[in-house]
Amino acid sequence: MKRRNILAKLVLVVVGLFYALPMLSMARFAFQRIPVALLGWHNFFDKWTIKPLFVMFENPQFRDSAWLSIRLALLSALLTLLILVPTVVYVHVSMQRARPLIEVMSILPFVVPAIALVVGISGAFREIAPWFIRSNYSLVPFYVIIALPYTFRSIDNGMSSIDVKTLVDASRSLGASWTRTLWSVIIPNIRVSVLSASFLTMTVVLGEFTIASLLLKETLPLILAQSQGQDPQGSFAVGLVLLIVTASLLGFINRFSRRRNIAQPVAML
Amino acid sequence: MFVGVFLLMPAVVVFQKAMVRVDEPKAPMIEAITGQFRKSFIFSTQISAITAVLGVVFGTMVAASIVRLGHRRGLRNAWTGYSAVAANLGGIPLAFAFLAALGMQGLVTKILKTSGIDLTAMGFRISDFWGIVAVYLYFQIPLMTLVMLPAIDGLKATWREAAANLGAGNRQYWRFIALPLLLPSLIAGFLLLFANAFAAYATAYALSSGGSRLVPVQIRFFLQGNTITGKTNLGYALAAWMIIFMTVSMTGFLLLRRRTERWRR
Repeated sequence: MKRRNILAKLVLVVVGLFYALPMLSMARFAFQRIPVALLGWHNFFDKWTIKPLFVMFENPQFRDSAWLSIRLALLSALLTLLILVPTVVYVHVSMQRARPLIEVMSILPFVVPAIALVVGISGAFREIAPWFIRSNYSLVPFYVIIALPYTFRSIDNGMSSIDVKTLVDASRSLGASWTRTLWSVIIPNIRVSVLSASFLTMTVVLGEFTIASLLLKETLPLILAQSQGQDPQGSFAVGLVLLIVTASLLGFINRFSRRRNIAQPVAML
Repeated sequence: MFVGVFLLMPAVVVFQKAMVRVDEPKAPMIEAITGQFRKSFIFSTQISAITAVLGVVFGTMVAASIVRLGHRRGLRNAWTGYSAVAANLGGIPLAFAFLAALGMQGLVTKILKTSGIDLTAMGFRISDFWGIVAVYLYFQIPLMTLVMLPAIDGLKATWREAAANLGAGNRQYWRFIALPLLLPSLIAGFLLLFANAFAAYATAYALSSGGSRLVPVQIRFFLQGNTITGKTNLGYALAAWMIIFMTVSMTGFLLLRRRTERWRR
């Protein structure tokens, strides 16, 4: 038994190193102004700076793209909620039969990889609605779709943990409209799910590269990839910040959902 | 009316995806799996299969280790928390992190060099086969850990004790009881990981500056230029094949998962 515990610890240490080292290397590269070739123990603590980050923020192109990404993230989260919450309520209240269908639909985005989706998008819309592709906001519906497997789970789990049907019946029979029922009865009851669904959408949007790059939208990941050549330090620094933001959004969800015992941030598990 | 509005929206989604398949005649479908693109598919499949196998092995080992040391709640929470984060990482920032670690001028490359292992001389390049494998493992291992944790948790202590009472050694227990029970989960995990790696695009793109032979990166080539006349639909065909690959492996995953749930609770 003792020996096997040591084996278990060894596995965790090795894999832990594998998880930690790339992140640490990235942080060092981004924030220390010494080329790796000259690096040694004697100068390991010298010349650390967070200046690359500020240099990057002074670049107007970068600021535009960051702002665009943030707007896209917020809009996608909003649209996700607008579509999903009523749909899921409806399924719970009066369409239990449609459940399997909806579940399959929510997994479909996994089956169609982003790169195939984008092929379909440009094939479908380039001729019939070129104005749609040209707009930066055309990304929003596709992001909503990509995030669907995650967000659907989260909202659905939330609603499964409350008695939607009774709540809706009660609120309707007291004379509340559907909108009011949704807004002041359902949503407050599933606010953790709503929050985690929006966070999940945001993390997906902030990291999405494939669709944006092929539709030539200058979102944050795209600018990062482009500026890798001119200002590697800056783009690595921003990449690190992006990772930290993503990680903390996911961490929040994790924490909330563990407390309530709902909604894993990884779809389908 | 409610049905109309809110079932219509997902339906439109499905319709958009169906477009992908509508657009191609037969010929490009065949062209897409012959000649140079055959090599891309083989390359992509190899990468996905190897990362999936390694992911299954290491992910399961991590999950088993976590369960074994599970009496420490904090340890377990930290690992599941980080795994949930890492499984969703990917894209440009992850590629950057690996460039900084294992690139030509990477920190880990340097550390290994000073301790006598010269990766570059061994022919390791971050944009090559094993480089891509290493990067993909970063999200494959945690994903597998999350898949296997509930499965390994589900192995009941009483089964182990029953086996021991009947005279089975530790090895026999794993071989004849734990492994058959875990097998559906393992295969399901493999399929999920395979699909996951097959669809990954951004990471591969950033690692190789777009020069990779992976199928998704090849598709980009067609979308951007339509450069080769007479082959305009080839991009669609490649995408269609990808969807077919994905459908097969995801269907397998879902069927197997249904099977594994039989052993829960």
